[in-house]
Amino acid sequence: MNIIGKLLRKNTSPARIAGFMLSNFLGLAIILGGLQFFMDARSIWEDDDSFIRSDYMVINKRVTSENTFGGETGFTADELEEIENQQWVKRVAPFASADYRVSASVTQQGRGLSTYMFFESIPGDFVDVPASQWGWREGSDEIPVIISKDYLTLYNFGFASSAGLPQMSEGLMSGIPLTLTLRSEDGMRTLQFHGRVAGYSNRLNTILVPQEFMDWSNAALGTGKVKNPSRLIIEVSRPGDVAIKDFIAGHDYEIAGDKSATSASFLLRVVVGIVLAIGIVITLLSFFILLLSISLLMEKNRDKLHSLLMLGYDTSVVGAPYRRIVVVASAGAFLLAIGCVFILRAYYLPALEGLDAVSGSVLPMLLLGAVLTAAIILFNLMAISRKVRGAWRIRR
Amino acid sequence: MIKEIRFEGMLPEVFQNERIPESDVWKTGLVLERGEHYLIEAASGGGKSSMCSYIFGSRDDYKGKLLFDSRDVREFTISDWQEIRRRNIAYLPQELDLFPELTAWENIQLKNKLTSHLSDAEIENCLEELGIASRRDYPAGRMSIGQQQRVAIIRSICQPFDFILLDEPVSHLDEDNNRIAAAIIGREAERQGAAIVSTSVGNPLLLDNYRKLRL
Repeated sequence: MNIIGKLLRKNTSPARIAGFMLSNFLGLAIILGGLQFFMDARSIWEDDDSFIRSDYMVINKRVTSENTFGGETGFTADELEEIENQQWVKRVAPFASADYRVSASVTQQGRGLSTYMFFESIPGDFVDVPASQWGWREGSDEIPVIISKDYLTLYNFGFASSAGLPQMSEGLMSGIPLTLTLRSEDGMRTLQFHGRVAGYSNRLNTILVPQEFMDWSNAALGTGKVKNPSRLIIEVSRPGDVAIKDFIAGHDYEIAGDKSATSASFLLRVVVGIVLAIGIVITLLSFFILLLSISLLMEKNRDKLHSLLMLGYDTSVVGAPYRRIVVVASAGAFLLAIGCVFILRAYYLPALEGLDAVSGSVLPMLLLGAVLTAAIILFNLMAISRKVRGAWRIRR
Repeated sequence: MIKEIRFEGMLPEVFQNERIPESDVWKTGLVLERGEHYLIEAASGGGKSSMCSYIFGSRDDYKGKLLFDSRDVREFTISDWQEIRRRNIAYLPQELDLFPELTAWENIQLKNKLTSHLSDAEIENCLEELGIASRRDYPAGRMSIGQQQRVAIIRSICQPFDFILLDEPVSHLDEDNNRIAAAIIGREAERQGAAIVSTSVGNPLLLDNYRKLRL
């Protein structure tokens, strides 16, 4: 009823309500803006290597002068078990290395080029390449390989220019027939295959062949000696987790491959974390501002609340004007914050698209905003209901 | 409907360690019945307002039991009480509890719209009878206490009730207005078959056929 609203809204301080709306808007805009930016920007750092997901990590032991003179850089079974038991580890697989010698040769424009090389392999489900392009079956003489992008760079800018050979693009390189010669340690057995470059990886510093081929060829040509694996591939639950860095540093291990992506995504997470924390603090403060102003307002109007209850008005009716203030102010701040995020997004999206970012969904942002706003409203409504009930008895 | 209000050995907690004069209310088995008229006389500080607050549910600092038709009021919830305040018990507090910023008319309507008990014409009639029709649209805060008392009397009958509690309702009224107020209240109570419980410290509401109780 109008008269009740008129009575109970007296002493309302528009400045305090505006103060709440402003701070709540700011807090929400920072939280939601930060979250949305993270959703939109993460694609720049993640999934940059199509062969290996960003939550995979390759580690090895640091090579020191001790290792050179007889020390072991392989991971023992105990060490493997310790790594497996870390909380941030989802699964681990060792790199298997070839137990024989490999040389690759290319014949190009009448000139032959031959080099020693090596093979390693990891289980197929760690490699993100369609099955049609990866894998090997016994009897096939073609072996797909994934090589490090660095090797191509070394060839193009280091070797080719000084040796008078043509530079080659990734596509061109993949088309060149590569002859792979596999020779056992004692030189008694030799096998020849065709190599096909299935891709280049930023993050695998190796020459990778399918696991099936590795198993078969090691059985056919190897000495049968069991060696500890010197590199491990790990799927981690949270890339960029500080615990990972601490563990690696504490055990004198190294993370192999291009680390810039992991570091950048780690940095992005840290920055977003700080921004979110600031936003949460501001939102929390705004919540208390609202709670205090409503409580103060109701305290000032306590006698009126009491008189209305004495007339027989229900507690829900008497609390309604205050509930309306809370709902309107919070929902208003929420809508303003959403609007602000969309405007902000319109400014930064073109810049991000320049960096090949795939913009993320806005749903998590909207959902988080709605949940936070609902929580603020709910807690205030509970406080209002308590205050009204408190005004029911005569003050003594 | 509440037929009777029963006091079972009731005593305000503040009186617990004091010697109180002989009373028809405290520490007795007093029963107030629907349809009767009661005049409760007391010296100030005798606990009149406390008694009204206990019956109206806004205080419960007493020893003993208060029963409405054998239901202990301590078991009532807030919404039970709000229902009772709209339907069963009307109350005119000593301090009137008018909203000073609202006009006489708005103050009365605040109650009447809740209960839809009297028509506008009936209310206008009461204002007329009590001689404050010309103050209808005055803010209550700018009226004399006597005028405010008359507004509050009209407001108190704007609801169905089985009992009407009037705490010194005519303390600032002259004898003529006292009679008119008593007639209006008596008329409404009779229409509803309700009881009138009026307190006084010396200027009682001029009811007929009342039972006098010492507090």
